[in-house]
Amino acid sequence: MRALVLLAALLAATPLAAQEKIDRRIAIASDASIRIWNLAGITRIIGWDRDSLAVTGTVPSGAFYMGGSGRGAKLGVERPDGGKADLPATLEIRVPRNVRLWVKSASASVEASGLTGELECSSVDGSIRVEGSLRLVVAESMEGNLSVYGPMGVVRLKGGGGTITLRGARGDVLATTVGGAILATDAALTRAHLETVSGPVAYDGTVAPRGTLAVTTHSGDVTLRLPTEISAEFELSSFDGAILYGLSAKGKGKGEPSPQMGKPMSFTTGGGDARVTVRSFKGEIRVLKP
Amino acid sequence: MTCRDFEARADGYAEGRLSPREAAAFEAHLDRCAVCAAALERAAEPPRGLAALPRAIEPASDLWPAIHGRLALVRERPGRLAVPRWGLAAAALLLIALSSGVTAVLLRPAPRAVSARLDVSALEAQYAAVSEDLTGALEKVRSRLQPETIATIERNLRIIDTALDETRRALAKDPGNPALGQMVVAAWRQKVDLLRRATTLGAES
Repeated sequence: MRALVLLAALLAATPLAAQEKIDRRIAIASDASIRIWNLAGITRIIGWDRDSLAVTGTVPSGAFYMGGSGRGAKLGVERPDGGKADLPATLEIRVPRNVRLWVKSASASVEASGLTGELECSSVDGSIRVEGSLRLVVAESMEGNLSVYGPMGVVRLKGGGGTITLRGARGDVLATTVGGAILATDAALTRAHLETVSGPVAYDGTVAPRGTLAVTTHSGDVTLRLPTEISAEFELSSFDGAILYGLSAKGKGKGEPSPQMGKPMSFTTGGGDARVTVRSFKGEIRVLKP
Repeated sequence: MTCRDFEARADGYAEGRLSPREAAAFEAHLDRCAVCAAALERAAEPPRGLAALPRAIEPASDLWPAIHGRLALVRERPGRLAVPRWGLAAAALLLIALSSGVTAVLLRPAPRAVSARLDVSALEAQYAAVSEDLTGALEKVRSRLQPETIATIERNLRIIDTALDETRRALAKDPGNPALGQMVVAAWRQKVDLLRRATTLGAES
């Protein structure tokens, strides 16, 4: 009995927001601009081949809004009582593939797939995952993970403590983070600038002919796994860390430990078509075979 | 983006009026075009530096006054610090882009002539001024941020400050080392960018 009283008192003190299901849609141009505001929960965006915007999901009662048509639309979740805490909502949003999206999150995770247009997304500690082949991806999260899968045109990622993951990246990438790692696999970038303060950087792939790969870190270890036949100018320097180079044939994949602390290591492989630059203060630099 | 486009968009970039796509194109051009990067670099230098430069890369647009103008505007309106600091944020963005451009020039194969002209202490002074303003702005909006967010920001700032301290000490011992100068600038760039993002988050909360 006492437990029931306590439970009743607790429920009265912190009323749970009632949830409601939504199913809304409007006609919209295939290249429209759409603004999405969902601070907590999940925002899932899916590109489709229809000229309409469709939203389904579960939201706090009375908190969902949506408006616009033709060239632009906005939708989101906002507390109707003006309270400070963010109420979680789950939104599944289908949009024409080629739209321009602006997405705001605080803790909500954001997932986007099947898009070809542009996406700008910011979050505080929510994760952001983008799959597809967009012209432009701009994503920021102070603490959440940032994941970009597929060949995008231009990618700009800013993290903090979370991990930045790139898979199958092409084109132009600028990724910076503080303590988080940057991990790139199956990469063939034409221009990449990867920068951390203490997080490690691992790049597995190649650099396009006449492309550039620049890595800057203070104390993170840098590991580049590149094809032995890569044609590039290398400039590797670590003020207080070792440099291990193991791309040449005689290394036979084991790497050739040759500490070069404080001394820049510059050399050219093949015709020197691409340019690879790694600068570190005290992190270790390794250039290895795949 | 052509150099002419770059010049035409410089003011818009400084004022934060470009779309994300345009801003990305602006930064991409800055990173790959030595002429425009050099023009921006010189825009940040005192006038005596301009006279020594070749006419062929005469600055197309004097951007640095725009940054100071923005900062001055913010300082003149202390009562408005609680509103979004877009001007300050744009100034910080431009400073970041500017030093990125300088770094990009230095990363090129034959940077000796330019590297000799890299004035780390001048860049540091600029970063320190923007950093101080952003720190003040962040304090104004601090109460609007979640405690976990504040903890995250402070943790990242500590990491950056440690890196900044280590690289500055190393540079003091070896002032002629351009790589160390670049590391110092990179740490400042990270700090200003983090403060800018944190301030924007607070203003939007």
